[in-house]
Amino acid sequence: MLGAPPAQRFAFKGKGGDLFVVLIVNMLLTFITLGLYYPWAKARKLSWYYEHTELDGHPFHFHGTGSEMFRGFIKAIALLLLIYGTYIVGVLTKEVTIVLVGILVMFVGLLAFIPLVIHGSLRYRSSRSSWRGIHFGYRGQLRELYRICLRDGLLTLITLGIYASWFTINVRRYTLSHMRYGSSSYAYKGDGTEYFLLNLKGYFLTLFTLGIYAFWWQRDLFNYYVNNLVWNFQDGKRIDFKSTATGGGFFGLMVVNLLIIIFTLGIGFAWVEVRTMRYVMENIRMEGDADLNAVVQTEQEHKNAMADDLGDLMDIGVFF
Amino acid sequence: MEREIPAVFYDGVTSKPQEATVRVSDLNSLEVVLPDGARFQWPLEHKGMEWERSSSMLRLSFGDHPRRVLLIRDELFIKSFVLRMRYTGRQGGYDRILSFARSGPVAFFLGVVALLVCAYLWVLPWAAERLVLLVPTSLDERIGEAAYQQMAFALKEDQGKTVALQAFGDAMELSPSFEPRYHVVEDAQVNAFALPGGHIVVFTGILEKMSSAGELAALLAHEATHVEKRHSTRMMARSMAGYLFLSLLIGDVNAVVTLVAENANALRNLDYGRGLESEADGVGQEVLFANDLDPMAMVRLLELLEREATDVPEVLAFLSSHPLTEDRITAARERAGSLGVPQRPNERLGVLFEQLHPTTDQPTDEMPSSDN
Repeated sequence: MLGAPPAQRFAFKGKGGDLFVVLIVNMLLTFITLGLYYPWAKARKLSWYYEHTELDGHPFHFHGTGSEMFRGFIKAIALLLLIYGTYIVGVLTKEVTIVLVGILVMFVGLLAFIPLVIHGSLRYRSSRSSWRGIHFGYRGQLRELYRICLRDGLLTLITLGIYASWFTINVRRYTLSHMRYGSSSYAYKGDGTEYFLLNLKGYFLTLFTLGIYAFWWQRDLFNYYVNNLVWNFQDGKRIDFKSTATGGGFFGLMVVNLLIIIFTLGIGFAWVEVRTMRYVMENIRMEGDADLNAVVQTEQEHKNAMADDLGDLMDIGVFF
Repeated sequence: MEREIPAVFYDGVTSKPQEATVRVSDLNSLEVVLPDGARFQWPLEHKGMEWERSSSMLRLSFGDHPRRVLLIRDELFIKSFVLRMRYTGRQGGYDRILSFARSGPVAFFLGVVALLVCAYLWVLPWAAERLVLLVPTSLDERIGEAAYQQMAFALKEDQGKTVALQAFGDAMELSPSFEPRYHVVEDAQVNAFALPGGHIVVFTGILEKMSSAGELAALLAHEATHVEKRHSTRMMARSMAGYLFLSLLIGDVNAVVTLVAENANALRNLDYGRGLESEADGVGQEVLFANDLDPMAMVRLLELLEREATDVPEVLAFLSSHPLTEDRITAARERAGSLGVPQRPNERLGVLFEQLHPTTDQPTDEMPSSDN
């Protein structure tokens, strides 16, 4: 299809000063409430990002609320306390076997949660996201995700980490291919081998160029994410995503970001976030003639935020 | 306000946006007119009506999932709408704080920073200390016991000397709240340490350098004060509170801020650690005096430590937990002066000390037992 060049249809309209105020208010309230405000703060922040991200001039919307995330937060904390509690009780009893069982429960317990965290976060976050009043959704099966993680996790272990590239892409392909926007759906066509070669090349060239190639490696990773993503519509039409990011672009973005952070002693982080979001949104282009007006609402609400908060507490980034 | 305000309407059924116009029909509802001529009332006081204002937009939504949505960007309308909602009490506290912060972001930021610094410097230490008082001393014992069991494998304990040191320690009253258990460990380091709850470990390296029972008593008094005053537990409470405080605040912020803040926190903990050492010296001297021992022994112990620690570079000494020995010596000498010399010198310890100290190997002109 040799038509018009990929169109820029995403835009990020947020201003650093505005985000700064939102984050400072969050900080104050989180502090005053001894951390209990955290879920509300998170909801406010996410809302702000969604509200300032636009596609075809229409903003996204985050529907999650502080109170439903608070319930998830409490459940996640209780679960983690249970897991760590087993370990601590084990240590206090001083029995070697009980200590070992405690350690085992802790590690296996935490590892076993990763697929659950990914699944739950995707379900929750997507169902609480909308554009033009139509909700996103995730229809992947938890059991299937466990199967992939178990199989690929073992293979990664056996191959001493080499299989990690395939692991990453298999999980990404499964999850993105089960993401929906109303009656339309997404697909990801990336594959592990290509991703592995890309990382191999990136790693060695970064090493040989004393780190300078890192920006081009970053570009390749970004492009591999975006260019393999497809948006399919009910009438058989589709939209391809195309990245226009460049190594030079990433270089400029990251170096200036670093300077801002250093010279403002970190106070400029809001401006750094905004610069980054703007760069990302401006460089995801769309190609195709599908009709974005024809999508119909299909997804139900999913209000359980536990896995999302569990992901936060365990420091697992689901949203790459 | 009989204006027609442009708005975008999403019906929640399809993704097709509609250019609507909004009219204020009465105080409690809006009239929405769609391009195809359809019109409906949008109630403002209904429970199912929610509104959110971001910096450039007002978003109204109504009904059950999937909700119908109106987006309005008309600034004048947004202002009067917010005023109206505030008047009927439907403006949230968050919106008020945000408007306040937006009216003077720099001043607001500085105020928040000042508040946080005050809390970190004064409220946090106070709260942490109070928390330790609530924790039963048995927790110290459990933590110390677990820690000792874990490190006992790596320590080469001299059983005979341990028994002798226990007798030496038991001859004094050093820690009323705990029962100190003393251990002598074969190690050339000129050092000793105390675990919470009562385990006190003395290395043979420091024993050999000692020349009097008073120095050993001073060492035990110092370490026992760490135990008695629950220094480890307090230190843990402080650094945990500091860590929690920081992670609470900078959970969202980048690596540079985290690095700066964590190092500042660590330095502050070191500073606190030094305060605890001085306290162990001071209270240790009072304990010595109460046990009919000359508080000057603490000065001699510190001088010994200073002599033996000369190979530690200046920079490291600044960061170590037994630093600034000069200052501590001066302070200890002043305290010894004000406490004076006990009336009935404690004689028993000299005999016990000889069992621990190989005096027979190196007969010197200065007999240890004659020290006190």
